[in-house]
Amino acid sequence: MIAGETAREPEAVDAAAGIDIKCVGLTKTFRDFWLRPRVRAVEGIDLEVRRGQIYGLLGPNGSGKSTTIKMILGLVTPTSGRIAVLGRRPRDVASKQRIGYLPEESYLYRFLSARETLDYYGRLFRLPSRVRRERIDRLLEMVGLDAVGHRPVGEFSKGMQRRVGLAQSLINDPQLLILDEPTSGMDPVGARQIKDVIADLGRRGKTVLLCTHQLSDVEDLCDRVAIMFGGRVRAEGTCDELLVQEDRTTIRSDTLPAEVVAEVRDLLARRGIGHIDVERPRRRLESLFLEIVERARAEGVQTSGAKAGGSVAEFLKGPEATDQAAVVGRDDTTRPASAPDSTSGGVDSNLIESLTRRQP
Amino acid sequence: MRNLRWLAAIVVADGLVIASLVALGRPVEATGLVGITAMVIGVLLGIAVIRWALGGATGVVGVARAVVEEAVRMRGTLVLVLLLVVAIPSLPLLLDHSERLAYRMQFLLTWSLGATGLILSLLTIILACSSIGGDIESGRIQMTLVKPIHRGEYLVGKWLGIILFNLLMVALAGIGTATFVRLLAATEATDARDRTAVDHQVLAARVAVEPTPGNPGEVEAAITEAIRRVEEDAPEAFAANPDAARRRIRHEYTWQWHTVTPDTTSIFVFSGLEAVRESVGKGGTVQLELKPRADNVDIDLADVRFAMWLNDRPWPMVGGDHQEQTLSTLAVHVLDLPADAIDDDGVLRVTIANRNLVPAGETHPTAITFSPGEGMRLLWRAGGFAGNFVRGLVVMWIKLTMVAAVAVAAGACLDIPLAILASLVVYATAVGSGFFRDALGLYNMVSSTIGGAIAERVGRTMIMLLEGRWYEAFRMLFGLVTDVALWLTPAFSDFDAVGRIASGMLIPGSDLVACLWRIGLAYPLIIGLIGWAVFERRDLIRSST
Repeated sequence: MIAGETAREPEAVDAAAGIDIKCVGLTKTFRDFWLRPRVRAVEGIDLEVRRGQIYGLLGPNGSGKSTTIKMILGLVTPTSGRIAVLGRRPRDVASKQRIGYLPEESYLYRFLSARETLDYYGRLFRLPSRVRRERIDRLLEMVGLDAVGHRPVGEFSKGMQRRVGLAQSLINDPQLLILDEPTSGMDPVGARQIKDVIADLGRRGKTVLLCTHQLSDVEDLCDRVAIMFGGRVRAEGTCDELLVQEDRTTIRSDTLPAEVVAEVRDLLARRGIGHIDVERPRRRLESLFLEIVERARAEGVQTSGAKAGGSVAEFLKGPEATDQAAVVGRDDTTRPASAPDSTSGGVDSNLIESLTRRQP
Repeated sequence: MRNLRWLAAIVVADGLVIASLVALGRPVEATGLVGITAMVIGVLLGIAVIRWALGGATGVVGVARAVVEEAVRMRGTLVLVLLLVVAIPSLPLLLDHSERLAYRMQFLLTWSLGATGLILSLLTIILACSSIGGDIESGRIQMTLVKPIHRGEYLVGKWLGIILFNLLMVALAGIGTATFVRLLAATEATDARDRTAVDHQVLAARVAVEPTPGNPGEVEAAITEAIRRVEEDAPEAFAANPDAARRRIRHEYTWQWHTVTPDTTSIFVFSGLEAVRESVGKGGTVQLELKPRADNVDIDLADVRFAMWLNDRPWPMVGGDHQEQTLSTLAVHVLDLPADAIDDDGVLRVTIANRNLVPAGETHPTAITFSPGEGMRLLWRAGGFAGNFVRGLVVMWIKLTMVAAVAVAAGACLDIPLAILASLVVYATAVGSGFFRDALGLYNMVSSTIGGAIAERVGRTMIMLLEGRWYEAFRMLFGLVTDVALWLTPAFSDFDAVGRIASGMLIPGSDLVACLWRIGLAYPLIIGLIGWAVFERRDLIRSST
């Protein structure tokens, strides 16, 4: 009976169609103490995030990204519009069982240790104590905090708190992960690692809504992107749709001798292609930095901060068989090159892959 | 492990200090330090028990557990906890040892329990408001409320954690206080009377009744007649507020029959004492408590003089003579009555003859008044100290659960400073409402029902505003706010625990049930629902983006 009733709900229809988040005409106007309209943070947004997608919400500060996320999470009530999350309304407690959320800042109880923090959130998900213990061990290891799990979070650096935040967002093995600026405050190693975790989760079929103003995060990870400004979505599509320059072609090869370059130029000139740039590629600073840190680690240099972190925790499963059918609209050709088909990849292999990929 | 080693070191050092204090012949200080140590260990053990009790994996329990951790790990609350832990065992050090033992014990009970109530109320308000307000302001609440937990469950969790913490603290303070009272009781009393007072007036649970007039029919007739006369003489004034006029006349006549005018005799009757008579026969005691006032138009008198008869027999008899009583008006006097004072029908008639002479150089004799309520009471033992003490602690805890509900609701609706302020106002109103009611009751010239009072005050304010009497209109409006606030807030004084325990008065089971219902359930439920309704609609983020 209940299933029959909920099936008639528009939210449930969205879920059946493999849509994990759907917003229609979403608007939020903040009011001041006297209930006068003060700020129109979000104006008539339509969004659709399908199951298994990594969806980027991109925009400068104050563009309405966080407000949109908070409406999706039920923390803020929309002034108008409709939201469905995992087939339910945002305030519906049942849907939250399968959502993980990392806010834009680390909002943690300073007096609790990392372990107690994760235990607290695990209790809120009603996880039995054995499961909590296992998952906490795995997550702390994954984010590289297993050695400092008993220290109060208040003593942690910003980046370490961020890692605790990421760990708590995964404790319930969520189907839908909502990450607000996940790499803010992280050093490049941590940022890379978090990106690898996100990519891995994406491969496991999790839906990820990534809200950021780090353009590289989006470019590296996202299947689809919405670019927001002034509370509205200004552009939406796959990364390729938005980024491919239709009138340009790039050829990459090993270093070419001057005569080969001359030959190529000649060939292209004969074909009537006039403008050609030939240059030696530069590495990205990120890859250089990561290489130096990796080398230091290999040499056994000690640090008091977070460790490198391990592979993605095993308990973070892919969607169940029934859910698999619902993974529609996943366009693997749009997946960035960092997401190969193999699912065996831990962080380290990803790291190497990404380093290789980044050599233009 | 390191923490345990530290703890062990502190306990050993503590033990050495205590041993040296004993060796140096300072047993009181040593006892105090033992008490502090015991309280600290009690807090640690109690927290462990609460953690164990809150071991389940549900949203409410998870939130409750986090609040308890906050209570013991945050500096603000920890200071109050330490204050309590140190204050109670230190109180005996403040006692004046030349004072009578019964007074010292009453002082200890009053201050220890009073301080516990005050400190825990403040702690509750600060903890609840800063915990919820802090969650909202810091953004932590976003992390919690995106988990499968209703907003109502979150508030209930906060409340549960705080009242469990309060339960622990009340229990510890109670154990500490009771221990010190017992230790004090075992010391030497000033004299035999002092020892009797300790046993029968402090370490007891007594019931008190007030007398009725010896001639109730006449008093009623006089009141009816007086009302009729006022109605005839000043019909307009009476019609303006008949309720208030009747109350004023009844009040006047009640005082009148509690007063023994010069050279007259009055009878005060206590009835329905069959059970008391039986218990007195089995070794129980019955006491007459007197707090006389001397009314003389010329001077203030320190003493009153009168003769007494119990059921028409002169009392007390000393060497065959009827002894007159000379009592100070500055103290409360407790007279132990003989076992056969109450007659077979369970009635005790106390006859008082005013024997005040006209003071030298003055023209008027003195009237003696036993004020209604506290001037004359008959007391008897109805239970032991321990049971009554526990009941008192339960009442204190129930009051704290109400304070917690108010503070949680305020924290859910308001920013931290405003929430603390609002909670303090409600707490102060609850604590003071008995006093305010008494103070305002006499001069309140409006209807005694809240609906009538509101209608009347609003009407009169409008008239005063129209007539341009701004100041009076403001006063009337202020009265309206006070009336409503007093009506809305349950009076803690209706269920006095500290005063009753300290004066060895029984806290009846019916009071306990009424307290639990009114202060522990009904009021927190209403205030909690209001807080929840607002919280449910609140946007829980700080900034606008």
